[in-house]
Amino acid sequence: MMKFGNLVVAGIVTGSIYAVFAVCVAVWYRVSNILNLAVGDFAMTGALGVDYLSRVENWPLPLSILATLAAVAAFGYCYDRVVLSLAQDRLRRHEGIVVTFFFTFALSFFIEGIAQILFGTNVHAAPALWPGNSLNLGGGLNIVRAGILVLACAVISGGMFALYIRYTLSGKAIEASGENYLGARIVGIDTRRYRRSIFVITALLAAIFGIVESPITGYTYISGAVISLTGFIAAAYGGFRHPARALVAGLAIGVLEALLGGYVSAEYGDTVMYAILAALVLARPRAMGFESAVSN
Amino acid sequence: MSGPGPGTALGVTGMSVSYGNLVAVHDATFSIGAGESVAIVGPNGNGKSSLLMGIVGLARRRGEVTIFGSPAPAGDVMWTARRGLTLVPERRQLYPNLSAADNVVLGCYSWTRSARKARRSDAYGRALDLFPDLRSHLRQAAGTLSGGQQQMVAIARGLAADPKILAVDEPCLGLAEAVSKRVYEALARVHEAGTTLIVVEEAPKRALLICDRRVEVRNGVVRAPAGGARP
Repeated sequence: MMKFGNLVVAGIVTGSIYAVFAVCVAVWYRVSNILNLAVGDFAMTGALGVDYLSRVENWPLPLSILATLAAVAAFGYCYDRVVLSLAQDRLRRHEGIVVTFFFTFALSFFIEGIAQILFGTNVHAAPALWPGNSLNLGGGLNIVRAGILVLACAVISGGMFALYIRYTLSGKAIEASGENYLGARIVGIDTRRYRRSIFVITALLAAIFGIVESPITGYTYISGAVISLTGFIAAAYGGFRHPARALVAGLAIGVLEALLGGYVSAEYGDTVMYAILAALVLARPRAMGFESAVSN
Repeated sequence: MSGPGPGTALGVTGMSVSYGNLVAVHDATFSIGAGESVAIVGPNGNGKSSLLMGIVGLARRRGEVTIFGSPAPAGDVMWTARRGLTLVPERRQLYPNLSAADNVVLGCYSWTRSARKARRSDAYGRALDLFPDLRSHLRQAAGTLSGGQQQMVAIARGLAADPKILAVDEPCLGLAEAVSKRVYEALARVHEAGTTLIVVEEAPKRALLICDRRVEVRNGVVRAPAGGARP
């Protein structure tokens, strides 16, 4: 029973990361109709960037974090301004979506290449922001301190976003852009500006989560792809357009992964999990939200 | 003929709209005076909607468009909306999963970023007052409303932008006769309140009941029969 509880706690921690990445993918998809496959690479950049600056260059930790986040934001902004604008704004909308999708894929490889040169191929992690042993939750349940930070970040960022969508006009404008592109343009919503700001914000959010979470798992230059993939799958279960469903799916995948790893096989846990996920999609595509991704 | 003068709300000079190789509107020149109500008529597929899309900046155009004398930058919908020209587009283009109220309040986006200001504004209030039937459906998702109610939401969204010129594209497409009548009554009231009105209609009969004159579009060529800026 204790084992089960601990696995669930660990699963919720990893799941909340998947959830956040799934929400990032889903939100940007809502605005731009494009799937961002590079979101995990921003997390890796955050974690390894902070590690590099603080460990190799001996910068103080807060400065390393700020510098890394500033670099990620600046890069995301320039990437959208130059590459995504070229790829999308000059083309017809449908062509643009397909082309841009591949550009985010290319971006992922590009970031990995740079990261390999800058950070090497070893496993690193940003310094723990809240160092110390795991906390005892009572009854034999333990949670790593970084896990609490991850959960806190997930709740804060998710909550802020939900409030933003619900109570502000620009939040509703984001929803409107996703609902009806032409209808959004007609009332004067600058859909490109929203695409850009959400791209930068999700990149920043991903970097922050990478920094906070990396002490738990450790990152290498290719960790981003796995994170993107899992976030992407969770987002797919939410039909790509529903951040709330993507969030639940992310949490569920995290817990499932932890339980399979603990009870079935540490080595083949992931394989079994992907098999289960694939089976679910094949059995109930509509209930899993895949329908809406295609028909919209 | 009325040239672009001080009383001109909308002036179009030598405007062409094309999609790739297809020329939808060819060299259109006409103007609409402030406070006028004009029906743009002609068979379907002859370029009426493209004319409007070109004017508001949603379709690529050549030529000049002025709104109250200021030349409109091509492709800038925001500018057009801020200067007071709002389009209620063909097929309404609502946000189906957002509530009717949210659809209408987003019309205010052209002049404010504050949801509170938008909800308390005169423009928003007037837009809703025009359609008392909508009151009980405001929390409903727009996609679940009837066709007539959706059209009312679309017009209300246009009015929430506080337009000086309201352009409505095929307001009665697919609506029952009784509902169409209500929509037209509402548009007539909008015009009476001083808004310049442009209505695109395939069947001009009804439009001409509330419109002072007509602009004809045939095969992408615009003919605006002489009649002066005001009757």
